[in-house]
Amino acid sequence: MGGGRKVVCQAFTTGYIMEIFLQLTLSGLSQGAIFALIALSLTVVYRATTIVNFGHGDFVMAGAFFVYVLVIYAGLPYLLSSVLAILIMFVMGLGVSRGFIDPIKSGPHIGFAMMSISLGYVLRGGARFLWGREVFPMPRIFDMEPIFIGELVITGDVFFVSLIVAILLSVFFFIFYRTKIGIVIQAVYQSERGATLIGVNVRAFHQSMWGVGLAMGAMAGILIAPISLLHPDLGATFLIRGFAAMTLGGFGSLSGAVVGGLLLGFAEQIFGFYISSTLQDITAYLIILAVLIIRPAGLFGRTITVRV
Amino acid sequence: MKFVLNKLSIGVVFLSALTVVSGVQASDTTGLTDTTIKVGVMGPFTGNASSYSKTQIGLMAYFKHINDQGGIHGRKFEIFPEDTACAPAKGIAAAKKLVHQDKVFYLHGNSCSAVAMAVKPTVSPTGIPWIIAHAVNPKISMPVNEKKSIYHGVPAGPAYGSTMGEFVMSKPGTKRIAMITHTNDWAKAYCSPAIEVIKAKGGQIIEEQTLERGQTDATAQVLKLKQAKPDFILGCLYEAETVIFLRDAKKYGLKSPVMGTAGTDLENTLERLGDKDAVKDYYVLHAFVDKVNGPKMKKWNDIILKYNPKETITGFSAVSMASGVAAVKALKAAGRNLTRSKFIAELDKIRGLKTGILACDITWTASDRHGCKKSAVAGFVDGNPTVLSAWGKAW
Amino acid sequence: MAKVKEQNLITRERLRWVYYFLPILALVIPFIVNEYILWIVNAILVYTLVTLGFNIIIGNLGQLAFANTAFFGIGAYTAAILMVYGNMPYILAIFMSAIVGGIAGFLASVAALRGIRLYYLAIITLAFGELMRWVYLHGDTVTKGSDGLKIPEEIYFLGLSLDSEVPKFFVFLLLTVLVVKVTSNLMRSKIGRAIVSIRENEATTASLGIHTAKYIILAFVWSGAIVGIAGAMFAVLTERVLPEAFGLTEVIIHFGMVLIGGTGSIVGSVIGAITLTTLPEYFRQFPGMDELFFGIIIVLILLFLPKGLVSLLWRISPAFKERYYRD
Repeated sequence: MGGGRKVVCQAFTTGYIMEIFLQLTLSGLSQGAIFALIALSLTVVYRATTIVNFGHGDFVMAGAFFVYVLVIYAGLPYLLSSVLAILIMFVMGLGVSRGFIDPIKSGPHIGFAMMSISLGYVLRGGARFLWGREVFPMPRIFDMEPIFIGELVITGDVFFVSLIVAILLSVFFFIFYRTKIGIVIQAVYQSERGATLIGVNVRAFHQSMWGVGLAMGAMAGILIAPISLLHPDLGATFLIRGFAAMTLGGFGSLSGAVVGGLLLGFAEQIFGFYISSTLQDITAYLIILAVLIIRPAGLFGRTITVRV
Repeated sequence: MKFVLNKLSIGVVFLSALTVVSGVQASDTTGLTDTTIKVGVMGPFTGNASSYSKTQIGLMAYFKHINDQGGIHGRKFEIFPEDTACAPAKGIAAAKKLVHQDKVFYLHGNSCSAVAMAVKPTVSPTGIPWIIAHAVNPKISMPVNEKKSIYHGVPAGPAYGSTMGEFVMSKPGTKRIAMITHTNDWAKAYCSPAIEVIKAKGGQIIEEQTLERGQTDATAQVLKLKQAKPDFILGCLYEAETVIFLRDAKKYGLKSPVMGTAGTDLENTLERLGDKDAVKDYYVLHAFVDKVNGPKMKKWNDIILKYNPKETITGFSAVSMASGVAAVKALKAAGRNLTRSKFIAELDKIRGLKTGILACDITWTASDRHGCKKSAVAGFVDGNPTVLSAWGKAW
Repeated sequence: MAKVKEQNLITRERLRWVYYFLPILALVIPFIVNEYILWIVNAILVYTLVTLGFNIIIGNLGQLAFANTAFFGIGAYTAAILMVYGNMPYILAIFMSAIVGGIAGFLASVAALRGIRLYYLAIITLAFGELMRWVYLHGDTVTKGSDGLKIPEEIYFLGLSLDSEVPKFFVFLLLTVLVVKVTSNLMRSKIGRAIVSIRENEATTASLGIHTAKYIILAFVWSGAIVGIAGAMFAVLTERVLPEAFGLTEVIIHFGMVLIGGTGSIVGSVIGAITLTTLPEYFRQFPGMDELFFGIIIVLILLFLPKGLVSLLWRISPAFKERYYRD
């Protein structure tokens, strides 16, 4: 029999290796951008209320589902639906804070954890119940001819997601560091008591931060759904990535969440390619454990340990 | 104390009086009355695998259809659907309920192989007839169990897998094959037999990649595969992950043809990708004699829609109905004096049954319970989904 | 408010008699129910221990450590592996599961000892659980990966062949009663009080001269051991150990059992286990129903009955209150 084709020597030129590496980096950063957004939305709520929303993944999914409903059943254009969905989720955040978190405020943190999980379950169960056994494709809004830089491919997904997240993050940090509202937020983050003393309505603040957190989560959902598929379990995998990003960047650090997310996305691609694709799925968990062993505070975190 | 002791003795007497003869052994006619045949249908009606339960919905529609036609020798099916949520523990509870509480005549259904395997120790020793109508793990029905009561009414893993392997090797000049799979038993049930056939025909597996359920990006895998330059790729992935893989394959210019499993169907995949170019080299196992909405399938799709008007027909919907046809044939052949042993005896007499649904003819013998050994393949020919028997050959 | 007459009827001593009596009464169960119901009862016994172990960490120690499914899986796989590859008799396998579970508990306690608390601890322990699941899945040669590890056909417990639900019931009942009794004694002792004291205020406890690290480790080790035993029971209950049984969804169900029953309460653990094992049997038909109901029930409990269903018992008589509940 004729000999099989040998792998072309081309594979070993530095240029080719470099191209693969760049491609992985690009893909990793665009995935990481979404993780960053999710981690950031988790951190916003955490900093404001010291609660981590364990049901956040399902809220992200809910945001995407609302867009789907508005686009398909109400026939609205995608951009308008997205904005509406974000607003709906903001209001939902206010509602969650007011109706479900405030009443149990004096209880132990276990209660908050379970409350957030349960609310997520209600959303997930509801989505599954309403949509039965189907899985839905989202409208293809990121369609664009891929850009080629040498062998490097930049598709619509990667391009738009990275761009939109970059814009969102810039807006967020601008508001946070440069506007009056941002300064108030910073004040409450640093000292709730002090803020109360100078007249800030901390309760309203908590509610609005929940709203902001969920709204940002919805944005993530809106970006995820066209790339992946829309199904009720969408949120679960992303939630873990969000946690890993928060852990890596430093629990409670806003910029840490962003950096952590990007690094995580990058790490997943690199592990998957250079080590083994079987590891890709647990990269997030490995990172969490590594952080615990090496430096529990993460990259930018303040020490949050209790020493007795 | 006296008060308590009195309560105690009354309680004991009461409970003893309640002693139901729960040790009643299942008999050959359990689950039968003069007018009904109780059938237990297990499936993942809830949970994240619930799209597979479309097969059970199709099966149950067929049973209702038979009922409306007068039933079988004066008996109608009484259907007991039980949800397994594709979780082994829940599946065991479902099986125990059907066998020990509802006391059905026979079991028909199951989509999830993991659940079926978990349930087997409960069902097998009782000898209750059990027809697997969707799950692919071959070990569920073979080697034949002690009570000789378990049947496979769809192609099991080896049948599907070897079809995949045969198709791959039927493309002229194919030597180097790569694979991308999930790590669960479902994927192995397809890919392992496929690999055997490929190797037997002189092919070589040059690269193996993993993509886990729930992953939304296949960049690393695709780049690795591209590097290996395969002639053909085996893709043992579920629907959602297949879409992700094909999307990324197109994105990075991975041009090898891809052979998929029976967990997807062409039209659905195309709809999700929204890109004809990405699927033009994608092939799937197609268990049916015609396209999902083709003329030969109309009769069956109509039955499903009659009893489930809101149901969307997909590549899953009619799969289980074929074994339903076989089961009904055997029940009818057993006559009015129906028993479990007669039912099993009649099932073992089924030879080359053309169900009009599945591409295979069902044949069951006492030593071979894999009734269905063949499957077709479907692919896009000139942009149209077409049923194929080999590379470039129509069915 | 309880009437005076009722308070005289139900006293702590009488209640203790009832608790001893219930298992004896339970012995008639296998003779009056069918095998399906008996399987459910066996599942309840297993989950009672699961919930009990989890409750020690969440309720008594007050830490958000979600390593429960890790302990559960480790216990199940240990027992199965030893029985399949080592031909170990079941009773020894259970013992080994307890030990290995305890070791796992010790490893889990490391994070807590390093001062990690609350959500961070929760995330880390969840990661631990998921990593273990990856190990089960990819340790193919030993664990048989996704096919699952099937336990041997013939298993014996002290000469009794465990071939149907009935003998399993007796064995499980014995184990459950033993473990619950020992745990109850433990929690009522100095150790239990120290653990609860750490929950209430760690700094103060330390200032009293109590070596908090020791008791934290003890709580984790004990929890791991109990849940390890439960895992060994689970292996025999389902006859095939699969990685999917030990994932994120499961730990949330365990958490649900603790909350519904009552955190920090042993009776609560039993109630929670019974509730969440039996209720799903009624919700079989519609996609999403079980999740919806689960979520709604937990939300309602958190809002209106935060101490769990066991607090309903307290309304009947204060004698039901255990000394180590959470105030």
